[in-house]
Amino acid sequence: MSHSLELKEARLARRGKFFKKGIIIAVVSGMLYGVYVAALYGATGNGFWVDWYGYGDIVTPAGWYDDVLDPTISGFAMSFLIAVLILGALGSGINDFFSAIWMIIKTAVRGKFMDYLRCFKSKPGAVMVICALIGGPIASTAFLIALIMAGPIATPISALCPAIGAIIGRIIFKQKLNFRMACGIAICVVATFMIGSTAFTGFELTDPMFLAGLAVALISALGWGIEGAIAGFGTSVIDYEISISIRQLTSGFFTLFILTPCLFLMAGAAGLYPTMLFEALQGQVLEEGLLASPLIWFLISGLAAGLSFGFWYKGNSMCGAALGMACNGGFSFWCPFFSFLVCGLYLGWAGFDLYPIQWVAAIVMVVGIFLIAVNPLELFKKSKEV
Amino acid sequence: MRPLNYAILKLFEDGREFDVQGVITQLQDEYSSFRAFKPMAINESLMSAEKNGLLEECNWELDAQGELHVYYKATPYGIEMIHNYIK
Repeated sequence: MSHSLELKEARLARRGKFFKKGIIIAVVSGMLYGVYVAALYGATGNGFWVDWYGYGDIVTPAGWYDDVLDPTISGFAMSFLIAVLILGALGSGINDFFSAIWMIIKTAVRGKFMDYLRCFKSKPGAVMVICALIGGPIASTAFLIALIMAGPIATPISALCPAIGAIIGRIIFKQKLNFRMACGIAICVVATFMIGSTAFTGFELTDPMFLAGLAVALISALGWGIEGAIAGFGTSVIDYEISISIRQLTSGFFTLFILTPCLFLMAGAAGLYPTMLFEALQGQVLEEGLLASPLIWFLISGLAAGLSFGFWYKGNSMCGAALGMACNGGFSFWCPFFSFLVCGLYLGWAGFDLYPIQWVAAIVMVVGIFLIAVNPLELFKKSKEV
Repeated sequence: MRPLNYAILKLFEDGREFDVQGVITQLQDEYSSFRAFKPMAINESLMSAEKNGLLEECNWELDAQGELHVYYKATPYGIEMIHNYIK
């Protein structure tokens, strides 16, 4: 083999290895996101959460807020909305705060803790903090609220974020986005809607609560799209483990210790905040075992969320926002998949079935991701050359 | 002291070219005690920076052992970003 050919092949192999690693990391980030959501269901399906959510009935909730919120402030509708906001923010805040603890431990074990402190004080660190606020308190809380208000259809709506991220990556960071990649993203979005189509029943399009839920889900898609594109780029400057530690601490601290108390205050029930924060982690452990403890589930969801978001950032920085976010977008399949395994099969809860269309959609999504990553015409050319 | 990733990118601010080994040589006095100061991790940092338009490949060669060395330099956009964001 000539020297120049050997050199060319070595360069191609190096690039190929980096590209494959980026794709694997981005796909795993989507899988871990599924674990995070399944564990979050586990947390909010135990202990006091069962009463607070009224066994998942969003139309006639348990009414805990009827007793504690002052209806003269804003009337029933607003009280209900604030109640939904409070529960969403509480769950999201606890999850992100635990996640931050996990990620800071990981950063320290990997010998990056001092760099973590240095990055926090820097300009790129400030950009990460802004991304964390957009993706955490705003987008994550919006997603949880949308799930409560509109049901599982919120997942495919929020999974529009890869398309938004790709557009932002194209406009701001001049990342590659051609017709083939745009088609691949469109296929992924269609697949996401196929996955969510099992939830397209039992609602009325005229229901204001449902429509508001869809709008809130769009906010989460926009927030994650912005976060994915900007933080993915930021990870080319800041180490990804440091990025995600900054993200989770900012998000967890802001959501749990600023946003949630403010919501309680708005509801005229500020005194209830410490009680509910404490109760949110309690479960009937002695009677029903460890898995009846929301604390255990939050620890699992926090770890999975931290790893998932970290890989999301790293995958986006290695593949570009379009491909990285499309691979991560598989979470719209992995969420029902892991929820089925954990809540349906393991815990035996009803309402977590997987449908054939969701498997078909997963295959469609793989086709979409493949189209973004690889030019089929070039593959065809190569096979002819061989 | 700058975070390791910042220090790596800062090397390229004045238009100089480095491969992984060059980066290690430049930074080993200050950063050799860092657990992340390893060729593979540095290589990934350089490739991510390239993917995001901060750096670009400018030269490459195979050494006597058949090991590939890829040299990078900052793009004009990269120089501007490094200058503005990394102090």
